[in-house]
Amino acid sequence: MGNLDMLSLTAYALQVLLIIMAVSIVVHKNNGTIIILITTFSLITASLYVINKAPDVAIAEVAIGSAIIPLIYVISISRQREFIVLDKAMDDFIIADNAFTGVGYVLLKRFTDFYHLELNICNDVRLCSLGAGRDQLLCEQTNVDLIVSKDDERNVYVLKGKASSILTYKLEAMARDYDNIEVVKFKDRDFGD
Amino acid sequence: MNPLLTFVVILIGFYGLSTSTNIIKSVFCVTIIESGVILLFLNLGNLDGGVIPVIGDTLPVGGIADPLPQALMITTIVIGSTVTALALMLCIKVFHHYGTVEWAEILSRESGK
Repeated sequence: MGNLDMLSLTAYALQVLLIIMAVSIVVHKNNGTIIILITTFSLITASLYVINKAPDVAIAEVAIGSAIIPLIYVISISRQREFIVLDKAMDDFIIADNAFTGVGYVLLKRFTDFYHLELNICNDVRLCSLGAGRDQLLCEQTNVDLIVSKDDERNVYVLKGKASSILTYKLEAMARDYDNIEVVKFKDRDFGD
Repeated sequence: MNPLLTFVVILIGFYGLSTSTNIIKSVFCVTIIESGVILLFLNLGNLDGGVIPVIGDTLPVGGIADPLPQALMITTIVIGSTVTALALMLCIKVFHHYGTVEWAEILSRESGK
């Protein structure tokens, strides 16, 4: 009988711990810390499943709840802060003297650092070979946030972004000081089809 | 085990869902609610004096815990993980469209259009 009391006492203690964990997840501000907390939360629930005579559910919870779900969160949170730039100009605007010292790169780096984003510059050959008329479609269909291209007639670098994105407006405000940089915003179309 | 304490976990999840300002935070709260519901179901199936529902030739004297909620809850865990993955994928899409994952900013942009 004493053994059984010990078990119910453990169950109550774990439940109180579970409530504390849930409150701390709700209250916490930093998403990176919440991932660790949610892993602990999953482990506590798994031990409560065992106490509730369900070891099969506990195995599934340990495997999925405290291994795969934190992995999904880590991947998505690191991907989510990405600012993807497609470099169509391919000249010293981004890369000067074999290093990231171009005017455009310095501007974009300053911008992404200011808003805690991660700058990711790509120049995929297939995407760059598309004509300028396809730029809006490209922006909507892929995850590209900004397209850098050069207007040879006016000798102006054109940065094209979505009008729906708050970041395009912030970049426009930041690029106002530069004479040879122009920010163009695509008009909004329906999202999600 | 007290079902009321489990219900408190579900309520905390709903509180977080209604007060969170960040989309990812909302997904975290959905995970909390899901765990609370699973715990509630298992607790209801855990009859007094029952043992783990693994039966040999003879039925245990004290009876067994109800195996039906357990089978259902394994399905819930698996589906819950896919729902989380889908929600986070949509969250990335929303970030690339609006440039932010804060509910208030997204809603103000939508209404100001």
